[in-house]
This record gives sequence, C-alpha cells and structure tokens, in this order.
Amino acid sequence: MKTDDLILMLARDAGPAPRAVAARRLLPGAALAVTASSVVAALLLGLIPTGLYLQFGPWFKLIYAGALSLAGGWLVARLGRPAAHVRAPLLAVAGVMAAAAVVGVLTWSMSAPPHRIPDLMGHSWTTCSLSVLVLSLPGLAAALWALRGMAPTRPVAAGAAAGLFGGSLGALGYALSCTELALPFVAVWYTLGVLLSTALGAALGPRLLRW
Amino acid sequence: MLSNVVTLEGMPGRMARSRRRPVADNAGDVRFNSPSLSDAADDFERHLRPLWERAQAGDEAAYREALQRMAGRLRAYLRRRMQSLPDDLEDLVQDTLLALHLQRGTYDPSLTVTAWMLAIARHKLVDLWRRRGRQEALHDPIDEVDEARLAATPAAEATQRDLRTLLCELPPAQRDAIVLTKIEGLSVAEASERTGASESAIKVQVHRGLKKLAELVRRA
Repeated sequence: MKTDDLILMLARDAGPAPRAVAARRLLPGAALAVTASSVVAALLLGLIPTGLYLQFGPWFKLIYAGALSLAGGWLVARLGRPAAHVRAPLLAVAGVMAAAAVVGVLTWSMSAPPHRIPDLMGHSWTTCSLSVLVLSLPGLAAALWALRGMAPTRPVAAGAAAGLFGGSLGALGYALSCTELALPFVAVWYTLGVLLSTALGAALGPRLLRW
Repeated sequence: MLSNVVTLEGMPGRMARSRRRPVADNAGDVRFNSPSLSDAADDFERHLRPLWERAQAGDEAAYREALQRMAGRLRAYLRRRMQSLPDDLEDLVQDTLLALHLQRGTYDPSLTVTAWMLAIARHKLVDLWRRRGRQEALHDPIDEVDEARLAATPAAEATQRDLRTLLCELPPAQRDAIVLTKIEGLSVAEASERTGASESAIKVQVHRGLKKLAELVRRA
C-alpha cells in the first residue's frame, strides 16, 4: 500500500478525535481500584472503629493519600501524552510528599522523648508498607491499562507514575483498616509503601507499555 | 528524554536567530519554546496547526491534508536518522502515520503539533532499533540541515511489506469493516447494511482493526 493510499484510508470518515482520553480511561479504573482496595482491606483486616475518626490520625492518612492520588493521576495523564510537560504534576507530587514529611518531622520533634520510638514504629511498621503495596495492585493495574490506551513515550517514567497512583489509591484503602494514629508513622511507612509500588510500576512499565 | 525530543528539533546554528522569533501559540512555553524551532519549522507548524485543529474536530479534507504534510515531515525526520536502514524508511513512515491516527486523542493543544508528532516518530524509531536488537544509541545528526525545509520529500522508496497483506490477516469482522468503510468508501450506514452489524459495531471494528494492524506491523 502506498503511503498516500494509507493517508486516504486513515482520513476517510475518520470523524472527530476522541476527547478526554486520559480521564475516560483513568477515572473508571481508579474508581474500581479504590473500591477493590477498600473492600479487600475491610474483608481481610477489618475497618477501624468509627471513634478513631475523632482524632486527626485517620484523616491525615486520607488527606495524604487522596492528595497524592490526585497528583499521581495528573502525572499519569501527562505521561500518556507524547511530548507533554510533566513539571507541574511532578512538583505537585513532590509538594504533597514534602508536606507530609514536614508534618511528620514537626510532630515527631514536638513529641516527648519516650514517645518518639512508638510514634515512628507504631505496632505495625513491619506490615504497613507491604499492605499498602499489596493494596496498590488494583490501582497499578488500572493505571497501566489506562496508559496502554494512550501513547506513553517514556515507559519507565509512565510505569512509575502508574505505581505512584496505584500506591496512593492502595494507601487510601489501607487507611480504612489501619489503627495507627501517630503522624510520623504515616509519613514514613505509608510513603515507603507508595514508593515500593512506584518501583514496581517502573519495573513493569517497559514490559507492559510497548506500542 | 523529554528534553531530547526538543533537541531533535534543534538546529544549533539557528538557535540564536529563532530565539528572537517565538512561535505565537507557544510563546509562554518554556520547554518547547521556539529556540528549537527554525523559521522553516515555524512555517511548517503555522500551516499545519489550523489544518490539524480542523482535522481534530472531524474535517476529513483537513485531516487528509494534515497527514500528507506530516508524512513529508516524518520522512525527512526519519531519513536522516535511518541512514543504516534505508529500506525500512517508508514502512516506518507508515507505522508512524498509523500511530498518529490511533493516538490523535492524546494530542495536547498546549504543545505544537510538530513536537507531538516527532515525539511519536522518535518513539517508533527507538522501538524499531530495539526490535532489531541494535545497541547503537539514537544518534542525532549534527550536520546542519533544516528538516522542515525537506518536508515535501516525496515517497520515492517502496515499502518492504504491504499493509494490504497485513490487512488480510485481521479477524474477518475487523477486516471487512475497514475494507468497506475505509477502502471502498462506503458510509458506516451502508457498511452496516451490507454486513448486518450495527453502525456502532462497525465503528468499533474499524478502530480495533486499525489497532490490531499496528500490532501486526510491529511483529512483521
């Protein structure tokens, strides 16, 4: 087939370009993923008592994970577009993580010395990050699926962004089941869980995002 | 890698001059700023942009013309980077056009069409190298040639593989939908009548078929 014939073929009756490609693929997947993580967390680990929501701890997790999901989703949407700029969403991700770190460091430095180790390690530091990683899988899969319908030209970065997004959604689900209340704990172990998921995404990207 | 996309466009000798002439629709844009765009590239974008916008809105004639201009620009871009694989040039031009079509929803209006198009071309080129198992990095030619001035390069070379042959390998429903609407030029309604499939099914089959074709092309 000559190139001119291919052009005729592609243009014929092509109609308008699809709109909002990123949102249309990312939003339903994200909704499904956050539901899946929450249900799995509730079934396997149980929900925290509603009384705990009177304290700031659970809200800090939800705000942190929610903000990180928004920034991560923005980054995924950008990396699915060839030549798109990523500086703004990267700054948003870095900003959210930095804010969580600042909150963690401040509360930690203000707490009385005997509380410092418990505030950092809680009772579940050995499982927290891994739980977030496991619960990140639905979101990671959803984001990778969304990217497969787009045109990521940087597969490692796009995979990492998918992992970051999935990790934040996983953290959102895990927050419903995690009884830790100390902010330094959240700043350290939730972030580590999200970073593990980001690394997993970066490793999967080049394998799954070819086109 | 993002900055590479830009430097690919960059013609070192022209940078100083074009810095004084920012592209109008990209004036506030730091990274894809005009230092990288020569006057000819500037010109190319200026002609392509309105066509592309009409094409995105569904204007078939504008889309055809935009793709023709883009094909010339792609050929110039790829030829200079595929000097060791000249036989594959026209195939890769076609692969890139197919990808541009399938991915036209990912075009971001805050960018130049040229930047978007060349990022896809570069991706297709890297993918070809990778599949060929070449270790050599993607070398950007450093000699000063203004590709945008070569944009009208005609398709002199023959393709190695014929897309028509690959089309025959598609599942029958997809193949028929493409042949009827895209090659024989039937309307979707006529194709629906001819095959008994609903109009929306025909559209879906055309899209899936073209996606599948792009996959077959990569494996061919």
